[in-house]
Amino acid sequence: MADFNIVHMYPDLMNLYGDQGNLICLQKRLQWYGHRGVIKDISLDGKLDYRNIDMLFMGGGSDREQGLVYRDLFRQAERLQEEIENGLPVLFICGAYQLLGKSYIGAHGETMDGLRFFDFYTRGAKDRLIGNIVITSTITGAEISIVGFENHGGRTYFEDTELQPLGRVLKGFGNNGEDKGEGISYKNLIGTYLHGPLLPKNPAVADFFIQAMAERKGITIDPILDDSIENFAHHQVKSQILGG
Amino acid sequence: MNKFRLILAIAVGKILILFSRLMGNQGSNFPGKMARRIYPGILQQLAARITGKIIIVTGTNGKTTTSNMLARIIKQTGASLVHNQAGANMIPGITTAFIAATGMTGRKRFDYALLETDEANVPLLLKEVKPGLILITNFFRDQLDRYGELDYTVQVIREAVKGKAIDLVLNADDPLTAYFRDLTAVRCWYYGFAPGSYGSRESRESREGRYCVICGQELQYQCYHYAQLGKFSCPGCGNHNPGMDFTGHGLVMHPALELRVDDMLLNSPYQGFYNAYNIVAAVSAARLLGIEPRHIQKAIADFRPEAGRMETFVINGRPTILILVKNPTGLNQSLAAVIEDQGVKNLFFALNDQVADGRDVSWIWDADIEAIETDRKIKQIICSGIRSGDIALRMKYAGYPAEQLVIKSNLKEGIEYLSGLTGEINYVLSTYTALFACRKILLGLQKRSAAPAGKVPVRG
Ligand SMILES: [Zn+2]
Repeated sequence: MADFNIVHMYPDLMNLYGDQGNLICLQKRLQWYGHRGVIKDISLDGKLDYRNIDMLFMGGGSDREQGLVYRDLFRQAERLQEEIENGLPVLFICGAYQLLGKSYIGAHGETMDGLRFFDFYTRGAKDRLIGNIVITSTITGAEISIVGFENHGGRTYFEDTELQPLGRVLKGFGNNGEDKGEGISYKNLIGTYLHGPLLPKNPAVADFFIQAMAERKGITIDPILDDSIENFAHHQVKSQILGG
Repeated sequence: MNKFRLILAIAVGKILILFSRLMGNQGSNFPGKMARRIYPGILQQLAARITGKIIIVTGTNGKTTTSNMLARIIKQTGASLVHNQAGANMIPGITTAFIAATGMTGRKRFDYALLETDEANVPLLLKEVKPGLILITNFFRDQLDRYGELDYTVQVIREAVKGKAIDLVLNADDPLTAYFRDLTAVRCWYYGFAPGSYGSRESRESREGRYCVICGQELQYQCYHYAQLGKFSCPGCGNHNPGMDFTGHGLVMHPALELRVDDMLLNSPYQGFYNAYNIVAAVSAARLLGIEPRHIQKAIADFRPEAGRMETFVINGRPTILILVKNPTGLNQSLAAVIEDQGVKNLFFALNDQVADGRDVSWIWDADIEAIETDRKIKQIICSGIRSGDIALRMKYAGYPAEQLVIKSNLKEGIEYLSGLTGEINYVLSTYTALFACRKILLGLQKRSAAPAGKVPVRG
C-alpha cells in the first residue's frame, strides 16, 4: 500500500460546481486499488513541495479569485512548468485551465495575464456556453467517450496548431463552440471545461491519472474494479445527450 | 381595447387553469404565460388591485415554507390575499396566481399579495409590481447553471431595489446581505438568532459567501448556525453582522420547535433548525406589517408541513416520508433528518436534471452524503429519475455498499420496489420536477394499501 499525494490547489478560492467530486473519485478508487489517496489543500502563499506531490488538481472560480490565484502561481510558474514537462499528472478545470494559456480577454476588452505555458488565449463573452457535453478522446490509447457538463463564458482558441485538445466534441460546445476541440492534453496534464464532475462518470479518465501516478512511483496497478455503476451513469447521460 | 384584451386574457387564463387542474397538473406556469401573450400588461394591472401591501419572498432556501407561513398568518387576520403556488415562482406562475384569484373582469380587490419569487426573477417582477416589503431568506449555492454565479444574482437584486421605498427584511446571519446595507431609500430590517442559540464552530458545507463581499478577505466566524450563516466579522474592513431588529432566542428543538422572537413565544409542529429560521423570518415580516401577536402565534402553531416538506404517507402500515431536495445545504439537512431516525429504513432518491431542478447535477457532490456511511440502518438505496446513474455513483463514492444500491430509473417502479422492502420507515427524496409524480405514486399506494380486504382495486 502506497500513499498517493494529490494537491487540491486553492480549494477556498477555486471551488465552483462540485469539483470535490473529482477528488472523492480519485481517493476512493485508489482505496479500492489497495492504496491510499491523500488530499492536501494548498492555498495562497502555500509552498508546493514536488518531492511529495503525485498530482495537482485545481477547479474553477470567479474572475476576482482567478486573479488572486494567478498572482500566487506566477511566482512559482517556472518550477510548475518543469514538473509538467516531466510528466506530473495535472487536472485543471474551467478557470484553472484558462490560466495555463497566454491571456484572458474580458467581455469589455480588459486583459488578464495567464501563465503562458501553452500558446492559447481565452476570450470572455456575455453568453455562457452551458449544457451537457460528450466528446471522444484517445488519451488512454483507445478511443473513449467522455461525458460532462460545461458552463463557461470564456472561449478558448489555440494559436499553436501543434497543441492537442483533450478530445473532439460530439455534442456540446467545448473550447469555443466553433472548432470542435475540447480542452487540452499534454503529457499527463489535462485542462478541460468538463465538470459534472468529470472523473466519477468517466472512470477511464480517473484511471488515466491513477496509472500515470503509479507509473511515476514504480507501482503496477491492475484495472480490477467493477465499474458497472460508473458505466451505467456514463451511458445514461451519453444517450440523453446524443439522443436529445 | 386594453380592457377587452385584459378580459380576454383573464378568460383564457382561467380556462387553462381549470383545464390543467382537470389534468391533475400542479405546474401552473402555462396559463399565465398564455395570458401574458394576449395582454402583456396583465400582471401590472392586476397587481394594481392590491390595496394593502405586495410582499415578495425570495432567497435560496426556505422561501416556500417562509411564504406559506406568512400567508397563513395574514389569513389568520381575516385579510384577503393573492398567493402563488409553491414552485410556480417565476413571472408566468405569479401571473397565474393573480388570474386565479381575480374575477372575470379583473376588478376584484385584495388586501395583500404574497409572491414567492425565484431569485433571478426579482428584477423582472419589480418592473411590473411595486412591492412594499421584500423578505430575503438567505443566499446559498443553488442551480448555478441558470444564473452564472451567486454574486451576480445578488448584485442584480441589489440594483433592482436601489432607490425604491421598500422595507427589506434581511437575514442578519448571512454575510451576503451586507450588499444591501448602504442602499438609499430602501429601509433594511434584520432578523437572526442570538449568539449561542444553535450551532457550532465548524461547518463542512459549501463555502459560498465566506469571503467579505466588501473587501474580499476571508471572514472569521465566532460560530456557524449552518452553511455560511452565523456570527462573522471581517479582519480586513470590520464588516460584521448588522444589529438585529428581530431576534430569535430561547430555542428548543425537541420534540417540536419552541422559540421566542423578541418577547413573543412561538410553538410549531415543525422540526429542524432551518425551519426555526423560516419562522423567525415570517414572524419578522408579520410584525412589520403590524399584525397582532395572537394572530401570529395561532398561525404558526397551526401550520403543518406541506408537499415535499416531510409529508408522511402510510403504505402497508409503514410511514413513507417525502422530502424535496434541491441543493447541497437542503440535502444535508434532509440526510441529517434521515440519520437521526433510529428505525430500520430504506431510501429512495429521484434525481432529475430539468431546468427547475438545475441542469447541472454536480451539486450532489457538494453535499455531505458521506454522512450516511456510518448509518447501518439504511438497508437499501433505490436510485431513480432521469439521472439515476449519477445519484447511484454519488452514493457508491460516499462509501455506501454498492451491493445495496438498486437503480430503477422509472419512478413508479422504484417507489413500488421501495414499498415492498422490509423495514420500519421509508424516505423518498426527490428533486423538483420528480416531486409531484412521486407524490401521486405515493398517494396511490397509500390509497391502495388502505382499501378494505376483499375490495382490492382492480388494475386496469
Ligand atoms: Zn471586509
